[in-house]
Amino acid sequence: MSDAANTDRWIRWLNTLQLVLAGLLIMAPTVWMVLSSFKPSFEVTAYPPTLIFSPTLENYDELTRTTPFLSYALNSLIVTVGSTALGLLFGIPAAFAVSWTRISWPAILTLAARMAPGTLFLLPWYVMFRQIGMIGSYTALILSHAVITLPIVIWVLLPSFDAIPRSVFEAAQVDGCSVTRILWRIAMPLVASGIAVSAILAFVFSWNYFLFALVLSNGDTKTLIAAAFNFIGEGSTQWGALMAAATLIALPPLVLAALVQRWLVSGLTLGAVKG
Amino acid sequence: MASISIRNLTKRYGNFTVIPDLNLEIADHEFVVFVGPSGCGKSTLLRIIAGLEPISSGDLYIGDKRVNGVQAAQRDIAMVFQDYALYPHMKVYDNMSFALELRGTPKAEIDARVKRAAALLHIEPYLDRKPKELSGGQRQRVAMGRAIVRNPKAFLFDEPLSNLDAKLRGQVRAEIKALSQELQTTMVFVTHDQIEAMTMADRIVVLQSGTIQQYDTPEGVYERPANQFVAGFIGSPAMNFFPVEWSGEGAILSQGGAAVPLDGETAGRLRQAGSAVLGIRPEHFAVAADAADGMAVHIKLVEPLGSDTLIHFDLAGGPAIARVDPALRPKVGDRITLRPQPGKMHLFDAAGGQVLR
Repeated sequence: MSDAANTDRWIRWLNTLQLVLAGLLIMAPTVWMVLSSFKPSFEVTAYPPTLIFSPTLENYDELTRTTPFLSYALNSLIVTVGSTALGLLFGIPAAFAVSWTRISWPAILTLAARMAPGTLFLLPWYVMFRQIGMIGSYTALILSHAVITLPIVIWVLLPSFDAIPRSVFEAAQVDGCSVTRILWRIAMPLVASGIAVSAILAFVFSWNYFLFALVLSNGDTKTLIAAAFNFIGEGSTQWGALMAAATLIALPPLVLAALVQRWLVSGLTLGAVKG
Repeated sequence: MASISIRNLTKRYGNFTVIPDLNLEIADHEFVVFVGPSGCGKSTLLRIIAGLEPISSGDLYIGDKRVNGVQAAQRDIAMVFQDYALYPHMKVYDNMSFALELRGTPKAEIDARVKRAAALLHIEPYLDRKPKELSGGQRQRVAMGRAIVRNPKAFLFDEPLSNLDAKLRGQVRAEIKALSQELQTTMVFVTHDQIEAMTMADRIVVLQSGTIQQYDTPEGVYERPANQFVAGFIGSPAMNFFPVEWSGEGAILSQGGAAVPLDGETAGRLRQAGSAVLGIRPEHFAVAADAADGMAVHIKLVEPLGSDTLIHFDLAGGPAIARVDPALRPKVGDRITLRPQPGKMHLFDAAGGQVLR
């Protein structure tokens, strides 16, 4: 075998090894979480952790028995869908405007807001929403989660809009389109996969966001992830139920990502238009 | 259909002036070509007419209407872009019907106009395809079809042939010319290719650094170039230039001092000027039998083109080209005597490059 072929084989092996290691690192907590959710409560915290055990649904049973799980799930869905829709409603035109005018500071501002710690917003929001009597409302939660979804939509869509040849927009202008119509009839259909990707990412990030719901929700509007926090007590933590809740919370984003995996990768890596 | 009138137009980007004070009148039904080297402002001027670039100062009229602040969408002009700029997500039919649909044209009329344009451009078989399923030439036709269906006041073309191969370019060039005669609409065409300009235009605008060097018919810019820039830009191969001066008895090359046989009129102008730049197109050299009748040169390179042959030589310290009869069968190293044809010589001011008349 030639040296070059040998080197190629080694590179392939090393690549595989890297992928396996990275996969293990990323998947280990998830696997641990799922396995723990099916363990009897005394085995969840056993050290060293047991890999062979008799699976049980007692944690799930406890979860549904002790908490209004479905209504929390519905709250999560309302807040997530609402904030994703709000993010798309303002994020799509915002990304298009930034791309069209090539004035990037508004996009950078939204990114800065996204990168700032959530606690920064909490106090002013709490005071503000309380003064207008909106603490515990879906509206307060949806508005606050838009801080998560809006930058995602803008920054996922910006390269997609930028990738559309300028002349396509100019042709539409000459054809008689207003800027709004160009967005609606030309730009949006061309970045459809980008819009789908940004919607999925916004959904996932909003679904998983914990802090705002913890402070701004009440018993009726608590989201799943904030409700799961109830299993962590001051004296003892119900690890089994917490793991069961975490597994169920993680399911929708995982299923969503798995369903559109191919789309997700292509949507993240390029703009929508070619020849 | 409409005339286009540009008055004292200036275009600046920040402190950089691309077009300084330009005036131009394009008549109704006229086919005008803007030609010039890269960066001369020809595409900017076209985009200003289209409404895609704002005017810094001056006025632009389409027909009788001043359109300075009028959006591109309201100017009723159609444009064919260099990269065609078709809508990738729409079928050919929808690409062509889009503008009509925006104007609320009845469906039956849209259908009739799209089909008529498709027939004219031979693109009926592709109406159901998306742009990515078409070749470059087919896309080019669709882009033209999209412009034609609108029956606009004027057509603007921004280097639409530059992405086509040489054979297709020639074919589409002829088609656009035929189309312009059939549609009888004002057309403005931008190109850097002087052959496109010469073959298609009713009148040519030769631009350099945002200023019009000459605005004339193709014959005018070829036969009576206004200055050395136009003379050198129009014609292929380009015109030869030799610095010449009046010796007292006749014209001589400034470098080397060889006598140049000028016709009487040109000699008179040179006598008056004292020194100038003599311009002779490669096709306007004649081969003289007697060495005393012309300028003797050594052939450095021979390019047989079939219909004629180009010979390269050095004269007056610079390279020059002559187009000769292939029957002469010139060879590298041959000594040949050339003389400029009477009535085909151009004299330019040695300092400013303006033609001396």
